[in-house]
Amino acid sequence: MTITWTNFFVQVVAFGILYLLLSKYAFGPLFGIMEKRRQLVKEQIDTAERNRSESERFLEEQKQSLQQARKEAYDIIEQAKSTGSKQADDIISAARGESTRLKEEAVRDIEAEKNKAIASLKSEVGGLSVQIASKILEKQVDAGAQGELVDQYLKDVGKSS
Amino acid sequence: MKGVKSTNMDHLAPIVILGGVKFDLAAIIMVIVTSVVAFVLARLSVRNLSVDNPGKLQNFMEWVVEFVSNIIGMATDFKRGRVYLSLGLTLIIYIFIGNMLGLPFNFITEAHHGHATFLGMDLFMDGEEEAHFAWWKSPTADAAMTMGLALTVIVISHIQGFRHNRKHYLKHYFEPWPFFFPINLIETVAKPLTLGLRLFGNIYAGEVMIGVILGMGWVGIPALLVWQGFSIFVGAIQAFVFTMLTMVYIGQASIHEEDH
Repeated sequence: MTITWTNFFVQVVAFGILYLLLSKYAFGPLFGIMEKRRQLVKEQIDTAERNRSESERFLEEQKQSLQQARKEAYDIIEQAKSTGSKQADDIISAARGESTRLKEEAVRDIEAEKNKAIASLKSEVGGLSVQIASKILEKQVDAGAQGELVDQYLKDVGKSS
Repeated sequence: MKGVKSTNMDHLAPIVILGGVKFDLAAIIMVIVTSVVAFVLARLSVRNLSVDNPGKLQNFMEWVVEFVSNIIGMATDFKRGRVYLSLGLTLIIYIFIGNMLGLPFNFITEAHHGHATFLGMDLFMDGEEEAHFAWWKSPTADAAMTMGLALTVIVISHIQGFRHNRKHYLKHYFEPWPFFFPINLIETVAKPLTLGLRLFGNIYAGEVMIGVILGMGWVGIPALLVWQGFSIFVGAIQAFVFTMLTMVYIGQASIHEEDH
């Protein structure tokens, strides 16, 4: 094993040249690309983060609007229910009033008819009694019967005294 | 691959002498090969860069970047250690590829009669008549080369410490008490030595071991497989350790902790 001292300088010079060449033609571009990729990744992470927060916000909004829509639907149903029951009440009460009115009318009609009937009966009865009375009076004109009648009365008076 | 059945002879490095200075051709070739492989790999991985649809090689290279980022994050504060990311990447890729290159094969030429040439240049044979020249080895299996790497990063750490963290950098030589200065100085000298020699020792030992196993002949094939697998592991670990320690040293020297 001999040591050749020129090797030392050969190595130093060669290494220096290699270092310069590699730095300029290989590592420089490579570092640039790696830096670019780092930027790209960073950008993409940022974008993803932004998108995520945005989507979260949207989701929250959607949830809220859904909640609101649900509430509105509930309100509408409630309102419809109350309106319906009120209308039913109205209809029922109206029907009840109508029926009461009809019943009263009928009662009044009946009363009126009855009164009319009574009145007509009365007048009929009056007419009849007059006719009967006149018939009886016609009969009185007959002498025999009158004598009989007088006798009758007299007998009755005698018996009673 | 030329088997080395009965090797009582060392493999020589193919050395040429130019202007009185020795140059190790194998080392130069391997440094160039390793650098070219590393550069081509890196270039291929950034050929079709894409932010949202990265290719396989780009994915792999990005994984390496993340890995080195984690090393820096472990050693110091990543935000301030970020400027050393390219350095760490170059180190780990270069050392790993260097460690791996020496494993799969070797390329040996023989020389006889005390004479051999390469591209018209005489190879230095140390006065021997017969020699084997090893042309293929890990660049990290050479002490001078690993020390080159180690000193480079250690010098960077001292310069950065002096520039960005002068007060604490100068003060740390005299901590906890001024008379600790010699000990701190020894530590400063020991850092590049251990850093460079650890890498060299591991890889060189691995290659020596491969040579020894090859000497066993056919019997050694299972052992060779096992050892090469282990060497891949060692090579990866050493690349990691070197990068990690580099970042630790730079962090110690230049990045002042807030909670002191």
